[in-house]
Amino acid sequence: MRRAGVGLLAVALAGIVSGCGGAPKDGLTVAMMPKNKGNPYFVSCRKGAEEAARELGVRVLWDGPTETDAAKQNEVVESWITRGVDVIAVSVENKEAISTVLRKARGRGIKVVTWDADAEEDARDFFVNQATPRGIAEALVGHTARLLGDKGEFAIITASLTAANQNDWIKHIKDVLAEKYPGLTLVEIRPSDDDRKRAFDETQTLLKVHPEVKVVMAIASPAVPGAAEAVKQSGRRDVKVTGLGLPKDAKPYLHDGVLDSVVLWNTMDLGYLTIHSAAALAKGALKPGATTLPAGRLKTVEVRGDNVLLGTPFTFTRENVDQFDF
Amino acid sequence: MAEPSGRAFLTHEHVLAVLVIGETALFAALGSHFLSAGNAAEVARASVEIGLLALALTPVIVTGGIDLSVGSLLGLSAVVMGAAFRDHGVPIGAAALLAVAVGAAGGGLNAALIARLRLPPLIVTLGTFSLFRGLAEGLTGGIQNYSDFPERFLFLGQGRFGPLPAQVLVLAGAAVLVGLLLHRMAIGRSLRAIGYSPEGARYAGIPVGRRLLLVYLLSGVAAGLSAVIYVARLGQAKADAGTGFELTAITAVVLGGTSIFGGSGTVHGTLLGLLALALLQNGLRLSDQPAELAGILTGVLLLGAIGARSLLSERKRG
Repeated sequence: MRRAGVGLLAVALAGIVSGCGGAPKDGLTVAMMPKNKGNPYFVSCRKGAEEAARELGVRVLWDGPTETDAAKQNEVVESWITRGVDVIAVSVENKEAISTVLRKARGRGIKVVTWDADAEEDARDFFVNQATPRGIAEALVGHTARLLGDKGEFAIITASLTAANQNDWIKHIKDVLAEKYPGLTLVEIRPSDDDRKRAFDETQTLLKVHPEVKVVMAIASPAVPGAAEAVKQSGRRDVKVTGLGLPKDAKPYLHDGVLDSVVLWNTMDLGYLTIHSAAALAKGALKPGATTLPAGRLKTVEVRGDNVLLGTPFTFTRENVDQFDF
Repeated sequence: MAEPSGRAFLTHEHVLAVLVIGETALFAALGSHFLSAGNAAEVARASVEIGLLALALTPVIVTGGIDLSVGSLLGLSAVVMGAAFRDHGVPIGAAALLAVAVGAAGGGLNAALIARLRLPPLIVTLGTFSLFRGLAEGLTGGIQNYSDFPERFLFLGQGRFGPLPAQVLVLAGAAVLVGLLLHRMAIGRSLRAIGYSPEGARYAGIPVGRRLLLVYLLSGVAAGLSAVIYVARLGQAKADAGTGFELTAITAVVLGGTSIFGGSGTVHGTLLGLLALALLQNGLRLSDQPAELAGILTGVLLLGAIGARSLLSERKRG
């Protein structure tokens, strides 16, 4: 009886495991990790990655934490090192935590790229950079100028006044204004502390204090729906919102018309470019000092230093937003 | 298929040992580089934090108790250590001791409520499970992430002595200590007696309160120590450290044959249970199986092992 029990268990185990196993293929194996497997943002990155894998005949192992968890990321990378994959591609949850294992992987001759979020520089060969601050600034100011007809006042709702990313973008926004759009005036920068309600309140106040402001640029993801809601409730159809954020939050306001556009990057292209970069790195086609990389349907992308650039940001509008689910 | 030999005296540990051998054989066949010294070292390294918790939970569960707060206490100890080191200029050694002290204090709180006020351990540690995690999140605003720990400290979590990951020595030391406590000292017998019947143990003159104080205090200390190793392995301390570790540790203990009702359990059983879980996780990854299978198979293993043991004991009685 007991032996039957043990035997049954072992057979069940073997059955389940072998039932799911695929025969290993030849060719390159790229192990790719998101910060969080369940997040729709990363799910759409994966779509692009698999598209590139089919094109190139590369085998992609896609694994990672089911919720953001730096410890899990390390464990998965460790197992990839043991398996001896050709390339490891990671969207890094925590720089400090992951860099040690990534260095170890490089020490074993495994190529390492980071994508979406970078590790320490000496822990990877290349970073697939989805958007430069300058690119983001140009896209945001471009939309503002289009809405204002190259002349007029606008205001920014930022994350917090000390947020590093946002301040970097604001610096570049000011540069772009000075270089290309002398007719546009940035009258005010207000914080939202990454809070939708705060963005709503700040936008309401802003519209009262500066009635001549015709564009509100919200550059933090929760600030976009907050600002849009405030403009919508004010009934001012002459004021439009643009900004940077996730399409899901923006969707109802894009359809309403109060929100003109949101800038981000195309997540499918990001996954697609990551696999192209990984494959090129493994085959020796992408080396230090490279300035360009041919990447399938993305044509030739720019390589600046050890960053592979995805290129200009992607703009979500009422026409295309329904294709995205994050 | 390995057949367990001998008809009589088949213990739960034998069943487990067969299981571990079976897993090893299976993954050696399916996985790539599964049977290698390097992989053995990584399996061991990744098991230490859960292992310390499981070792300390063994005496707790032997007394018929439970401690659900260890994962949360690990998180709290980790962020206190990180904050002390980074924000208050405490030397790293002292900060690590402080983490163990926080563990001891948390364990002491559980112990006092359970042993002195005689509150049910499930309720007490369910409360401190939330309390400790809440404190950790409150202390850091949920966003602080302490890093930049010195190299010599990180050695404890990332370095090696020869082929052995450094922290495995800590686990081995803890296993010896808990083994002595549970199997070689009179205290071990009294813990089992408490597990069978707390009232009976009291009538037999066993200082039940003091014994319970000891086991819950040890559990807290283990959480603190586990926090130090966690931080050294990952190089970061964040409020979510150790989330869910308590359940994995309890799984290892129960899989290892300790009765959840108390009264019986062994340290080598717990170590085998731990090994069975760790091999499963590692082997599935190396043989390219979806990670979700680990959860399914852990459940199957636990239910299968408990079922096998129940059949076993029926047979003995019959």
